[in-house]
Amino acid sequence: MTSLMDHQARETVGYSFSESTAGVKQHGFYPYTDNGGSTLGITGSDFAILAGDTRSTSGYNINSRMVPKVFKIGGDDETGEGANIILSVVGFAADGTALKERLDTVVKMYKYQHGKPMSVSACAQRLSTILYQKRFFPYYVHAILAGLDEEGKGALYSYDPVGSYEREQCRAAGAAASLIMPFLDNQVNFKNQYIPGSGEGHALVAKKPEPLPLETVKGLVRDAFTSAVERHIEVGDNLQMVIITKAGIEEVYHPLKKD
Amino acid sequence: MGSPFDINGGACVAMVGKDCVAIACDLRLGMQALTISNNFPKIFNYAPSTYLGLTGLATDVNTVSDLFRYKVNMYRLREERHISPRPWPTCPVLAGINQTTGKPFICGFDSIGCIDFAKDFIVSGTASDQLFGTCEGLWEPDLGPEDLFETISQALLSAVDRDALSGWGAQVYIIEKDKVTQRLLKGRQD
Amino acid sequence: MRGPTIIKAEDDKTRQLNKNTLMAFSGEAGDTVQFAEFIQANVQLYSMRNDTELSPAAVANFVRGELARSLRSRSPYTVNLLLGGMDPTTEQPHLYWIDYLASLAPVPYAAHGYAQYYCLSLLDKHHNPNIDLEQGMKLLGMCTDELKRRLPIDYKGVLVKIITKDGVKEVDFDNDKIVRSA
Repeated sequence: MTSLMDHQARETVGYSFSESTAGVKQHGFYPYTDNGGSTLGITGSDFAILAGDTRSTSGYNINSRMVPKVFKIGGDDETGEGANIILSVVGFAADGTALKERLDTVVKMYKYQHGKPMSVSACAQRLSTILYQKRFFPYYVHAILAGLDEEGKGALYSYDPVGSYEREQCRAAGAAASLIMPFLDNQVNFKNQYIPGSGEGHALVAKKPEPLPLETVKGLVRDAFTSAVERHIEVGDNLQMVIITKAGIEEVYHPLKKD
Repeated sequence: MGSPFDINGGACVAMVGKDCVAIACDLRLGMQALTISNNFPKIFNYAPSTYLGLTGLATDVNTVSDLFRYKVNMYRLREERHISPRPWPTCPVLAGINQTTGKPFICGFDSIGCIDFAKDFIVSGTASDQLFGTCEGLWEPDLGPEDLFETISQALLSAVDRDALSGWGAQVYIIEKDKVTQRLLKGRQD
Repeated sequence: MRGPTIIKAEDDKTRQLNKNTLMAFSGEAGDTVQFAEFIQANVQLYSMRNDTELSPAAVANFVRGELARSLRSRSPYTVNLLLGGMDPTTEQPHLYWIDYLASLAPVPYAAHGYAQYYCLSLLDKHHNPNIDLEQGMKLLGMCTDELKRRLPIDYKGVLVKIITKDGVKEVDFDNDKIVRSA
């Protein structure tokens, strides 16, 4: 990932076409652009949330203020109805769309062939395979997949661009991941928090992470994004939150700062 | 070799509370991925309730802190009074309480001296991205000394745990009008 | 060393700066001795002029200052240093790690170069602040054994000097011990 990013690092602003080197004019084509933005997922005992901002950028330009990054997978094409899996993609938006379309097709084909919806764990494994199949020309995205597992508990899987994946309680991805992730460590997994008065030094008992109620998690997601908007120029405009429970999928939008 | 700012690693943060300020740093000194010392404080005291945090290339943390001690000592001898916190060039994070006005004060600088006055918090070092996230999420106005201590500690520890070049314990100073409390945090040792 | 050739097998890479401080050095061939002897001369000059010994902390900061000044000059010294000493007034031992960038850190144990990768983990595990000389020598033995075992090159042994409140003295060290690689 870093080696691909180096191209951007040198130019600061991410052009699709690399600048010609001094002397001989060359026309190099760089097939990726970073469209910025950030996504975030958190699970609870009976729900999962995926959220993302809706800004799309290239370099210092804002392409659009309304490009959602979270998608319903395997549902109706127009309404998303019938879906039981959600996917967020951040990085190169064109690859994100392509990946979402492919996974959506795969999940639908599964249902037609097997006569039952695809489980989240099966979909998670399949997504990893899809990503790895393009190991040497990757989908340039950081994907997060969410749904409810066989026991009805919130399930969340995060991916790197070439398909390494892991089930987690929470994950931030994209431009502001480095800002949001330590906040989540602290507020969701209670890292560095101890039970007051439980002892001194090594005897201190660490506060155990347990699934948080939906309203608390919604609050954390909004806090995480308002914070990221404040300090990262590629994040802003609107917050898209997609919440999956056994009752179905709920999608809400909140305004974020547009500066 | 990468940027000189990323060779030795380290993080520093300052926050404003109600009639108090806090400043905290990690304790790691490394050479790239190798940790040399886990007892390398980056906060220096120059007068009652005036503290300076320095991150970046360790040799310049040493040089600037020494040079500053010299300059501040010369000021004290010449003026026959202590220096109070107000902007000085070439220093990354400054925190203190003005002894005459009793006002909390923090400010930050980049390496060539551009000043950033802040009402809330200042961050610097290799974990600055992470610190921006945690501080923006945890900080609120008018925190008392104990709440401010908890806030800055949680913000720093959580931030450095997501940065490979910072961590290995932390030092926190809570500065009030006529009292300074120093605390040592163990944190993760990896 | 000059390229792959060993010039001298028992070169003393330390200089005694005053009665109770010793400095070990490594780095660029010409720079090391030149810089070490410059420091040695200046610290000794201070002792003569003021009829008092500088403390290890004072020496360390002087050394760092000179190295930092040189760092921003046209031709900087490329020298890594370890500075050990006993404070003559408090009788406390001190060890300072200084690299060629003039970063200074007081440490309980230290190494430079490849020895860092082989020895620091051993020292992390076995060192504690209260070890006596015998335990210290044993720990040093573990470190040199590890270097013999794991370093691809034969580094021709070590020269050991100890610093106490009575001054600096060289001690015998068995460099001929054969350690088989694992």
